[in-house]
Amino acid sequence: MNATDTITLAYRRRSNARIWFILATGLVTAVMAILALCVGASGMRLTDVAAALFADSGRDHGIVWMLRMPRIVLACLVGFGLGTAGAVFQAILRNPLASPYTLGVGSGAGFGAVTVIIFFGGMHRWAVAGGAFACAMLSAAVILAVARLRQASTETMILGGIAQMFLFSSLTSLFQYMGTMDQVHEIVFWFFGSLSKAGWPEIALVAVMVGGPLPYLLHRAWDFDLLTAGDESATALGVDVGRLRLHSVTAASLMTAGCICFAGVIGFIGLVAPHITRMIIGGDHRYLLLASGLVGAVVVLLADTLGRTLWSPQVLPIGIVTSFIGVPFFFYLLIKQKKAYW
Amino acid sequence: MRQIFTLCPHVVPPNPACRAPRPRGMAGLGAFILSLILAVLPAQAIETTDALGRQVTVATPVRRIVALNSDSLEILRLLKAQDRIVGVYTEIDREPAFWGALTALPKIGGWRTPNLEAIADLAPDLVLTYSRNPGEEFDRKMAALGIPVLRLDFYRLATLENEVKRLGELLGKIDEARAFCDWHASHLALIRNRVAQVSHHPDVYIESYSDLSTVGPASGAHEMCLLAGGRNIAEDTVLPYPKVTPEWVLAQNPEIIVKAAAWSNGYQAGDASGFNARRDAIMKRPVWSTIPAVQNGRVHVMDSAIWTGPRALIGVAWLAHWFYPQRFADVDPNRWHEAYLERFQGIACQGVYTSDLLLKEIR
Repeated sequence: MNATDTITLAYRRRSNARIWFILATGLVTAVMAILALCVGASGMRLTDVAAALFADSGRDHGIVWMLRMPRIVLACLVGFGLGTAGAVFQAILRNPLASPYTLGVGSGAGFGAVTVIIFFGGMHRWAVAGGAFACAMLSAAVILAVARLRQASTETMILGGIAQMFLFSSLTSLFQYMGTMDQVHEIVFWFFGSLSKAGWPEIALVAVMVGGPLPYLLHRAWDFDLLTAGDESATALGVDVGRLRLHSVTAASLMTAGCICFAGVIGFIGLVAPHITRMIIGGDHRYLLLASGLVGAVVVLLADTLGRTLWSPQVLPIGIVTSFIGVPFFFYLLIKQKKAYW
Repeated sequence: MRQIFTLCPHVVPPNPACRAPRPRGMAGLGAFILSLILAVLPAQAIETTDALGRQVTVATPVRRIVALNSDSLEILRLLKAQDRIVGVYTEIDREPAFWGALTALPKIGGWRTPNLEAIADLAPDLVLTYSRNPGEEFDRKMAALGIPVLRLDFYRLATLENEVKRLGELLGKIDEARAFCDWHASHLALIRNRVAQVSHHPDVYIESYSDLSTVGPASGAHEMCLLAGGRNIAEDTVLPYPKVTPEWVLAQNPEIIVKAAAWSNGYQAGDASGFNARRDAIMKRPVWSTIPAVQNGRVHVMDSAIWTGPRALIGVAWLAHWFYPQRFADVDPNRWHEAYLERFQGIACQGVYTSDLLLKEIR
């Protein structure tokens, strides 16, 4: 066996390990989804759940198909969307602190939601979600416009995003300050995040916004790898960096906005899911994007299931539990890591 | 500083007369001397207890009052002391019809974050606010300016009458306070007596302003539900406003659902359409059609104006009316509300405060 063969074999082995990791995470997600389907406040037995799955109507059928299932599917979609978008943002901005909210998309969404709640009575959840989505995309557009006009560096984009984040947070605080007690109540709950408001039509929309940009991002995975070597190297190797950045920020922002407009701002997961994944399988974006999404889905699903069962009937907000679960695990990996991996 | 102020009843807040320019001539001199005497003479200081159980000393007569929230403003109007109000919270502008001329008074900022300088500028004899908002430092800063702060929570049914009486004594409005408290107590007793005779207490799911946020035992709405004879299905929770899952509500099989409507501004509402829309949205939630309350059309929405606060009694009357339609058939909460608005608030009775009844068949 010559040296080339050895290298090829090692590469194959690593690739196989990565594929196995993705398959295993997918399996864990599926198992957890089934477990989540079996627990809830109504105290249905396993046999009832199984029967309800295949029933045509009835109360149990409703509980399983209309209450538990949408929640589980939305948790997976949101976790997946934020995890993948986080990996994309970290790649394009070449910054380990980047997350789906770095460019101000999260605070933009929050501002949009609060504006609708305060000024339009917040009667309809579609209106609130629409406001959140519009402002999230607006903040991404502002950063992209700046980047395009001034040929801005990644640092400029991040700084612009942070500045925007402060502006939107201040505006949100201002509206909150002006709001009445009932409005403030509603705003606080929006920021906690919740998976219980969405029904199937909303989930279909989230699925389109998370799934739609995914093929494009996976298609550009090679280019993200090249980008890690720097803009100049990537350009030398034939990547149109400006275009790549424009398209992938748009795609990842769309994913993020789709996730948070119905579920609220679930922080942390978009930052940490890619890091957890990178520590385990390395930084090859062909695997990293999908795997980060799956890790995100596992964490959010686990957080939601614990959040609604641990202290039942009181529900612990999803955004809070996500951090409780994710941070210790993240620290564990961080300490276990032998070398600086980023 | 607040302690010192409390301990020394002879420390008097600066008299506003001192701020007037010195008048000229004999009459002016007389007025000046009189104002000096008024400023130097110790006014009678009355010691009272606030909602936190602390002793607060206030120099009387109280002529200039700043009301930091709608509840205390409503009680001041109830005590016929509105002519003494010199400053109001900014959010008053949201309800122009209900507050009328009071909206024209100087604004001192938001109810949680008042502008201390604006308050000081009005040189009030008393500032009325909630026990928790704004924070502790507010008392200290006001005390440094010689302005006493009285914290009273007029939103709790259990303490409302007592607090109204205390404020009435302080303002020399004892008759007004007594008239209201007698009216309030007799109406509350009517509900209590009738509820005491029932054997079945319906299970009630109470929803606060935000979707799926219910009320625990630590909340005012829980107290109202109990008074009206209902059993709050969230009575075992710990938080005052816990979020729950729709599945849990389903599993509890509530017989009645009551929701508080935010942003409804009932006094200015021409019809019940806003409340009805909220009610219908609840009834259409997935799988909730299996809940007895939804099946029997016993889902009701109530304006936040009668949901806790000084008018909680009206809210309780509605709840009792909904929980026991037959037993309370002769009680018309609208008439009670009318009496309250016209007699105690001195304003015309108008507005809509609840969703329409869907009840097809009264038990």
